[in-house]
Amino acid sequence: MIQSPIITAFGLKKTYRGASKPAVDDLSFDVRQKEIFGLLGPNGAGKSTTLMMLCGLIKMDAGSMEVLGLDVRQNGAEVRRRIGVAPQEIALFPTMTAYENLVYFSRMYGLPGTAIRETVLEYLGVFGLADKSSQRVATFSGGMKRRLNLVAALLHRPQLLILDEPTSGVDVQSRRMILDYMRRLQAEGVTILYSSHLLDEAEKVCSRFVILDEGRRIAAGALAEILAANGGSDNLEQMFLHLTGRGVRD
Amino acid sequence: MKILATIWKESILLVRDLGGMSLIFLMPLALVIVMALIQDNSFEIMQESRLEVLFVDEDADALGQRIAQALQASPNIHLIKNLKGRPLTAKTAERLVRAGDYKAALIIPEKASITLRKKVEETAGGLFAHYGFGSVTSSVKASPPIDLQILFDPAIKPNYRQALTGAVEKMTTSVQATWLMDDIQRRLGEATGRGGKTIDFSEMIHVRQNDASSDDAGGMALNAVQHNVPAWSMFAMFFILFPLAGNFIKEREEGSMLRLRLISGSQSPVIAGKFLFYLGVCLLQLVLMIGVGLYVMPLFGLSKLALGANHVGIVLTGLAVAMAATGYGLLIAVYFITPQQALSFGAISVVILAAIGGVWVPVFAMPPIMQKLSPFSPLNWGLSAFNHLFLRSASTAAILPDLAKLLFFSCATLAASLLIHRSRIVL
Ligand SMILES: Nc1ncnc2c1ncn2[C@@H]1O[C@H](COP(=O)(O)OP(=O)(O)OP(=O)(O)O)[C@@H](O)[C@H]1O
Ligand SMILES: [Mg+2]
Repeated sequence: MIQSPIITAFGLKKTYRGASKPAVDDLSFDVRQKEIFGLLGPNGAGKSTTLMMLCGLIKMDAGSMEVLGLDVRQNGAEVRRRIGVAPQEIALFPTMTAYENLVYFSRMYGLPGTAIRETVLEYLGVFGLADKSSQRVATFSGGMKRRLNLVAALLHRPQLLILDEPTSGVDVQSRRMILDYMRRLQAEGVTILYSSHLLDEAEKVCSRFVILDEGRRIAAGALAEILAANGGSDNLEQMFLHLTGRGVRD
Repeated sequence: MKILATIWKESILLVRDLGGMSLIFLMPLALVIVMALIQDNSFEIMQESRLEVLFVDEDADALGQRIAQALQASPNIHLIKNLKGRPLTAKTAERLVRAGDYKAALIIPEKASITLRKKVEETAGGLFAHYGFGSVTSSVKASPPIDLQILFDPAIKPNYRQALTGAVEKMTTSVQATWLMDDIQRRLGEATGRGGKTIDFSEMIHVRQNDASSDDAGGMALNAVQHNVPAWSMFAMFFILFPLAGNFIKEREEGSMLRLRLISGSQSPVIAGKFLFYLGVCLLQLVLMIGVGLYVMPLFGLSKLALGANHVGIVLTGLAVAMAATGYGLLIAVYFITPQQALSFGAISVVILAAIGGVWVPVFAMPPIMQKLSPFSPLNWGLSAFNHLFLRSASTAAILPDLAKLLFFSCATLAASLLIHRSRIVL
């Protein structure tokens, strides 16, 4: 099966103002249709920076990026309209209820008013939040917030999902629910670009990866390819420590 | 649709923000009532403060009486002729003014009436002799001029000094002219053999007293209610920046603004929704404050707010002030990074703009240097428009310059906010 790339990134580079070294340096990768692609790396590797460049919210200094056939530099707004993004930080209104948050975001997506209530209630049900729908988000647990943060990216049923550490700070049950749902979406034909520093978790859901450290790509490809190319480690974590050493990252 | 959704969202956020709600609705209500009560007396003093003038009448004749009469008729001057039951002397008056106990003294010298009569006779006689009636009795320049003296405390306000000098000059000229005419008539009667005819000159020119600041007829004086209601309404409206900037920065910090950037192609509906919502809140504040002026102030023994007749003008002014206040709040919100910066700068700047704009103390009661600054405060533009409308029922054309300034300010702050907000793509 030959899959055409849905994201093509080439030679991405970004240095934040005042920073001594680039946050992302000469990064290239491509994501194919209907796959779950892992953007992996330790803290500060440049994962979030890459994803924000992909949405056009951070300008790249060099390189090029095409998403769904659109050049991000020129059509950032159009790209954002077509994809769903769950940012790493919880991006919700804490003093509004779960239901109000989702209704507001649906309206901002421009969804037809008649369908909004139904869609929102459906997703709240799927993610086990139906009975908490009229509670303020501020009262939610970390796992509930994380799930709601994901739902807010799904409302307009995008064909490409960008999830920045969708499982950070959640318990086993929530994590399982989120990962299962990602697989279900994949089965429905949705492409997912997923970032994580949890290499073992990524191993389970992703078909292909790019691994970053300090802004640079240190490995890329399918799991078996990567492991084979790096002296036959048993898993990603072992290989990663082998490649980068045990020093703590920023 | 997106704008409406944002307005709905903002209303939820504000209603659940009890601190913000009380700040923009309760604080101004308390403030306006307290300030009106505190200033109620001082406004009366400011308005009705009469100049006490020591009056020394060493003449004790017609001229002194006429001048005293005229000055006593003036509502702004209070003549003091006796002190501790004794008539004032020139020496005591001088001493009292020097000491700063009184602001001014008017001294009519001894024999002033006699001298004036003599001079009138000399002038009229000279005139008649010139045209060949009668004979010259004495030289015109024979008697020295009458030396009316007005002593001023150097600290007296220039407008009081002018008013008093002007009044005295007017009176003496009038007395002089009347007497001269009388004398000429008498002489003409003698020369021609016909009886004298009394002519009344007083109605030839009628000078109407007008307040310098009123450009329309029927103006009313500024009082504590008329000043404080519009003044503190505007103060409250500019304080809208508290919930506006507070919520805005919170959204930026909490990440929901990132979500809106991710969702929305354009940020305009988000900004427009916020702007419109807070504009509405500002107008609601104004309506509440005017309601307090109309229905609550009288309960405290204060006068009822007078709105004047130009209600369309009031709506337009309210709208313009609300737009300026919201624009300013938005600019503060997008410019500052942390809530502490935004709120402390915002609060201090509004207090300063309010002070120089004449909210705390009316502009006319401020020192001259501050009066020069007040045209730079948007609160002053609004206050000036409201005063025109409330006190003088000014036409909409009369407040147009103030409205134009407010609208320009609003557009400028809004445009700057949009530019800054867009440029902050990196969160
Ligand atoms: N707004 C910013 N300004 C300056 N430097 C930044 C900014 N955001 C991130 N950085 C720096 O850029 C580098 C990459 O950060 P980034 O957030 O992309 O890493 P990450 O892989 O997402 O890490 P994490 O797992 O902690 O989320 C880090 O060194 C970080 O300190
Ligand atoms: Mg990150």
